[in-house]
Amino acid sequence: MTNPSVAPPVPPRARTVRHRLLRDRGFLTGASIALVMVVVALGAPVLAGAAGQDPSTYHDTLLDSARGGVPIGSLGGISGEHWLGVEPGTGRDLFARVIYGARVSLGVAISATVLQVLLGVVVGVAAGLGGRIADAALSRLVDLVLAVPSLVLSISLLAIVPTSWPRPALLAVVIAILGWGGTARISRGETLSLRTRDYVAAARVAGSGPWRVARREILPGLAAPVLTYAALILPSNMIAEAGLSFLGVGVRPPTPSWGQMLSTATTWFRADPMYVIIPGGLLFLTLLAFVLVATGLRRVLDPRQSEVLL
Amino acid sequence: MRKTVPLVLAATLLTGVLAACQGGGETTSATAFDPATCQGGTLSVLNQGGITHLDPARLYTSGGGNIPSLLFRTLTTRNRQPGEAGTKPAPDLATDLGTPSDGAKTWTYHLRDGIFFEDGTPITAADIKYGIERSFAPELPGGAPYLRDWLVDAAGYQGPYKQPDGIKAIETPDAKTIVFKLGKPEGDFPYLATATQFAPVPKDKDTGVDYEKHPISSGPYMVASYEQKKSLSLVRNPHWSAKSDTLRYACPDKIEVTSGLDAAVINQRLVTSAGQDANAVTTDAVVGPEQLAQLGTGSELDKRVARGEFPATTYLAFNLKKKPFDNPKVREALSYAINRTSVVNALGGSAVAGASTTFLPPQAALGYTPYDYFPAGAAGDPAKAKQVLAEAGISNLTIELAHENDDSSGLGPKVAAAVQEAFKQAGVTVTLTAIDSATYRDVTGKPATEPGLSLQYWGDDWPGGGPFLIPIFDGRQIITAGGNFNLAQYDDPAVNAEIDAINTLTDPAAAAKRWGALDAKIGKLALVIPLTHEKDVYLYGKNVKNAVPDGWRGTYDLARVSVK
Repeated sequence: MTNPSVAPPVPPRARTVRHRLLRDRGFLTGASIALVMVVVALGAPVLAGAAGQDPSTYHDTLLDSARGGVPIGSLGGISGEHWLGVEPGTGRDLFARVIYGARVSLGVAISATVLQVLLGVVVGVAAGLGGRIADAALSRLVDLVLAVPSLVLSISLLAIVPTSWPRPALLAVVIAILGWGGTARISRGETLSLRTRDYVAAARVAGSGPWRVARREILPGLAAPVLTYAALILPSNMIAEAGLSFLGVGVRPPTPSWGQMLSTATTWFRADPMYVIIPGGLLFLTLLAFVLVATGLRRVLDPRQSEVLL
Repeated sequence: MRKTVPLVLAATLLTGVLAACQGGGETTSATAFDPATCQGGTLSVLNQGGITHLDPARLYTSGGGNIPSLLFRTLTTRNRQPGEAGTKPAPDLATDLGTPSDGAKTWTYHLRDGIFFEDGTPITAADIKYGIERSFAPELPGGAPYLRDWLVDAAGYQGPYKQPDGIKAIETPDAKTIVFKLGKPEGDFPYLATATQFAPVPKDKDTGVDYEKHPISSGPYMVASYEQKKSLSLVRNPHWSAKSDTLRYACPDKIEVTSGLDAAVINQRLVTSAGQDANAVTTDAVVGPEQLAQLGTGSELDKRVARGEFPATTYLAFNLKKKPFDNPKVREALSYAINRTSVVNALGGSAVAGASTTFLPPQAALGYTPYDYFPAGAAGDPAKAKQVLAEAGISNLTIELAHENDDSSGLGPKVAAAVQEAFKQAGVTVTLTAIDSATYRDVTGKPATEPGLSLQYWGDDWPGGGPFLIPIFDGRQIITAGGNFNLAQYDDPAVNAEIDAINTLTDPAAAAKRWGALDAKIGKLALVIPLTHEKDVYLYGKNVKNAVPDGWRGTYDLARVSVK
């Protein structure tokens, strides 16, 4: 490392982790794809502008109206102007819609994951440290959350809220409140095992209250398993968003989302296969990237499990 | 039509009566179709909805419907001709289209000989009178409301179960004569007499709400088994005779209707046409993009398609009681801005929808008179729209557009998004309000809850201008309690008087001309923005013959197709 007086020394464990991650090919591949996706999503307006397109303008002249509105030309109307072709039925630029769709897909999935981790860790640690009654009550609550048929409930929840509410935020909240059970369980289990460790006992004896113990002793120990788990639930949250948008209770048109595109694509899959392949392929690629990140993290952070996973 | 038009549309769409097609897609080859030798086989009908009700009192059909017309003969019926010729009624149980007297306020019909119910009982004028009276019973809702309006002193009649004395305005001087007394002249009476409410019902067989489990047939087929919304099996009625009914060919020996299928599945099955599906047709699944992409490519499928047009318009309805739509300049600007090409594509392309600048769809029978007062061209004229708004001193206009939450009836998010984008080009911001399709007509049909701007659809009850224009523009048809279709809430005594004057005409051609002129006059006010008129494209199985769309409803007629 460089001069320790300029930058604080990286703790040895973190350094090893980083070192190992950078040598993990799966993790690196996944992380770079995910990074590209995030950058593309964040830079959607700039990128679409560079392509000279926006996600909402109709191009009726690019469609063969007599044949139901399929794009004129091969591969769904791919051209120098429309890099991924146009959407059948509307002629909206598919490249612009796909990158704007990435904002919804990633935005909802990431916010939902953050919410799930926050909720799960708070409840999990509270259950692990809170004594028998609190543990029993919170654990039953977690069981309840895990047992709820989340798809059915989220469809009904999303169907009854007024349409004026901001849809992406709502999606993230609904996915999060129905999906934090797993994080809570993992946090509780880990907390229970950590609290019996000597250093935690020592901190207690030294007079640390439960808040301090949780913050200083337990949370750092939770970081590895929870981070790994978060990387695993992120793709499933993405699928949840895509699924809900596919079912028509997700984001409202004209806001694009990959799930919604796949939903409209069901009637076009023979007439214009590119309209299925592009959003479907991107969804697949992004999911794969996050799964690779998750397994990479797990391999490095939890060597005991690495054999089991890969 | 006022109260129940949601039902018109629902019921017709469901029973597939709305289905419309023009003259194309005939299978007429070198050998002409001969109704005398077409008998035999089992016809399959693959449908999405329909067969929710089978009681002639409860059906809301145009021209007697497709499936219902196999079971029920009516005083008159559609003449089942293709194209323009098919927009006229023909005598069915009656010997002619009716004799008007007293300035079209009295209509007299005589029944033909040799007409029987499925049990062999002869059909009498009293059976027809009883069938009509039942349709007034609150237990049997759903039928067209015209008779309640038209017959003298019938508005409050509660049906034969509560008031067995019946309707005085319908007289049956003998078993073969029936006379209708109307409150005002109605030249369109022979068109209304095609409705299933004019089918005979034997009083001693009437079981009230249970009658539809096995309605007594007067047509070529009778019910063998019926499961509501799922399946209907029809076999030949031994007491029907082709001699007394030259309009229905009744070719198949059996007809099996399956309902509750997905449109994409139905069309894929018709394309594949495997096994029994070779004998299949549909009365309510218009082709989707998958099939349209295969059509016109010289494939075998091109020979198995019926194209027609049911008179119907998809339009944007303004509520003049709500700002800013009370301002004609706003309505005009939006009329200039609309991009009809996008709307056509959102509805499935030019094969299934055509751009319309008139409220009346382009059928001569309705009196179609071309006009385009606010020319928007194919793709809209946002510059002109901006100019009109600027001249009116309006800037930063934000409006709300109500639409259905699903696309199945063509009033959904796809069309709404196309409208939104077109108005955006003219600098008008549109926020979309999705309303559950099950309650959409309830919300828009009640002036208290009616949105300022909504996507609407109107289909014709019979090929005439009256049922198209009266519910929408007659000021006396504004119904505050709900079920209102005069969404502009427009009430002009001159227009109302013209409507009354046209209703006295018994010559359809003369009436059509004046309906067209009336539409062209009202069009100047931009009370609605006409978007598209309906076109319908239906496939049929490989073995199906004579699937010729009739001019009244546009789709092929089950009473005339053959699978032999």
